[in-house]
Amino acid sequence: MAELQLREAIRAAMVEEMQRDENIFLMGEEVAEYNGAYKVSEGMLDMFGPKRVIDTPIAENGFVGLGIGAAMNGLRPIIEFMTFNFSMVAMDQIINNVAKIRYMSGGQFKFPIVLRGPNGAAGQLAATHNTSFESIFSTIPGLKIVSISNPDDAKGLLKSAIRDDDPVLFMESEKMYGMKGEVSDDPDYLIPIGKARVAREGKDVTIIGHNKSYWVAMKAAEMLVSEGFDPEVIDPRTIRPLDLETIIASVKKTNRCVIVDESNPYASVASEIGFLIQREAFDYLDAPVLRVNAKDTPAPYAKNLIEFYMPSAEDTYKACRQVLYAN
Amino acid sequence: MAIPVEMPKMSDTMEEGVLVAWMAEEGESVSAGDVIAQVETDKATMDLEVYDDGVLLKRVIGEGDAVPIGGLIAILGKAGEDVSAIMAKYVGGDGKAVSIASGASAPAEPAPSPVLAEAPAPIASGDGASASVQSEPVAVGRLKASPLAKRIAREHSIDLQTVRGSGPEGRIVRRDVEEVMAKAPEVVVQTPSVASPALAEGGSYESIRISQMRKTISKRLSQSKFTAPHFYLTVDVEMENVITFRKQLNELAQSQDLGKVSFNDFITKSCALALRQHPYVNASYLAEEGEIRLHNVVNVAIAVAVDEGLVTPVIRNADQKGLGQISAETKAYAASARDKSIQPADMEGSTFTTSNLGMFGIEEFTAIINPPNACILAIGAIRETPVVKDGEIVVGKRMKLSLSCDHRVVDGATGAQFLNTVKGYLEDPMNLLL
Repeated sequence: MAELQLREAIRAAMVEEMQRDENIFLMGEEVAEYNGAYKVSEGMLDMFGPKRVIDTPIAENGFVGLGIGAAMNGLRPIIEFMTFNFSMVAMDQIINNVAKIRYMSGGQFKFPIVLRGPNGAAGQLAATHNTSFESIFSTIPGLKIVSISNPDDAKGLLKSAIRDDDPVLFMESEKMYGMKGEVSDDPDYLIPIGKARVAREGKDVTIIGHNKSYWVAMKAAEMLVSEGFDPEVIDPRTIRPLDLETIIASVKKTNRCVIVDESNPYASVASEIGFLIQREAFDYLDAPVLRVNAKDTPAPYAKNLIEFYMPSAEDTYKACRQVLYAN
Repeated sequence: MAIPVEMPKMSDTMEEGVLVAWMAEEGESVSAGDVIAQVETDKATMDLEVYDDGVLLKRVIGEGDAVPIGGLIAILGKAGEDVSAIMAKYVGGDGKAVSIASGASAPAEPAPSPVLAEAPAPIASGDGASASVQSEPVAVGRLKASPLAKRIAREHSIDLQTVRGSGPEGRIVRRDVEEVMAKAPEVVVQTPSVASPALAEGGSYESIRISQMRKTISKRLSQSKFTAPHFYLTVDVEMENVITFRKQLNELAQSQDLGKVSFNDFITKSCALALRQHPYVNASYLAEEGEIRLHNVVNVAIAVAVDEGLVTPVIRNADQKGLGQISAETKAYAASARDKSIQPADMEGSTFTTSNLGMFGIEEFTAIINPPNACILAIGAIRETPVVKDGEIVVGKRMKLSLSCDHRVVDGATGAQFLNTVKGYLEDPMNLLL
């Protein structure tokens, strides 16, 4: 084990895998000469040279397309988006090619491509740089979506994503790149995609949160513990395929659930999880499933407003008390 | 604003409650949750809690008084507040406090929630409307309970009507059901299945799946026995003439290679002709349609035992058919019932049913009405018995007929007249040919 920043854990996963398999390469804006916009790929150009760590023009639609061609021809590209806000430029490539080529070729093409980068809000970046895209992408069959909350998961899940023969969208966070944590140094440290983590066991209420929202959930849990409640916290880690089994087992135990999700609320990840819970655990629910999302507006710029806009531990705590009928 | 305290619905079968004892004095201050009285329902004696804070302004009824659900028990409010307006709303013609439904005089205030037809809880009108909703959350509108609370209640046979919901808008949640389970076992409504004696443990047995036929028998006959008030009439019929007549008839039939006519066929024919003369026996009580239907056709069903139960094929227009035809149809149906080729349509549309256990030596029995018939005739064995004839004891041949009647349609005299007509045909069977 070593204590690494989240960015270092991601780098370690890429470096280890690139050393293991020469077909893997990294491509994106500023990943090489500048050592990465967020210093995730720092030192990798020196290590692997310009053929395997490739700077691209500001042209997401183009370099995702290059990655698709490379993957179809046997390479295993890792494409970095400076943020997933810019992946919108490549939506046609992602939705119509990345997600569908394996299907449309009748399985003749394997599709080992990882599209990674920070997703979601990161402070005062204004409306166009503060969107969470996992719910938009997760509606498309053919994409696996991982969203990580800590350095150890980042490494174990990114290595699994790189070794996966299907396309994986790997979602990080600018806000968490500096977060430190113990990380496994096992060169084959693989966390399976599609497996949630029960971060805190409890019996009174299930709180579900991924990525930054996981930390919101944990903070709300602390507040509840101080009042004598015993919450359970689940980090789904993979948005699709979702580990429904773990979630349903938890809700059947606690009989109530609050989902924290920084997507905008309408048709969000929380919407889907909420639907699945009522379908699978209806007779076990003692209260409606509640969710805490970003507000249903574009993200504001002003500091006080963006703080109000984002799901907070306070809101989550209140929602938990509501489903606990603790009034 | 003064608040009426009404008789709550404390069990699903409760219609009224008796105030056993007052637990609070007039003029006493009470808080939400305080017990002000004890009420005896059809199931148990239970505490009457108030759901508002205030002063007990008036004890409207005395100890030992019975009040229907929704009837006024007490009035809460501020000290010195006038209660006459509330009293006036509840007082019925006989001077007793009664419940009143919300009508045209109700204020513009919207109903708190849609009231379902099957939950006809009285809602007080006027100023008391919203207060009564608070004081009686379990009786007004749709019963709200979380799916989990419903499941726990179902598993423990707890009637949710008796549980007070502590969630938003009176929603019953897990803790409410658990509270009832923990502290008030006497309000747990035991269903018959729970109350039934425990089966012997470890005993050896054979388990047989309940067949659809048994389920149908169970459903239809339970429905009949539990909804139709049955009464029974029995007559003893002299059978000498019909025995002689049948013998002659069957000699004729044999010489023409026709099938024999059975005693049962005579009874079928007799009933058919008698039904024509007694339309209320040939009838159906249709509660949902709000009518008693007097059938213009006479279709006599005959209960036929089969391996896994019984079926009731129907001889249609039996009053218009000869004994030979009735006999042939009955035999054909019995055969198809036993080889299971009988069709559902063969068993539909009866207006009357007979059931014969004479062949087993059963002297007499009572049968359960086959809905939607109004009556069923239970036929016993023909037996030799000493009878007094012209002052002498002689050996007679007698048969008992027992008619089960649905009292909603058929009264005693009607049933008796019908039975006498049947008896008349059998004792003088030549009339069957007229």
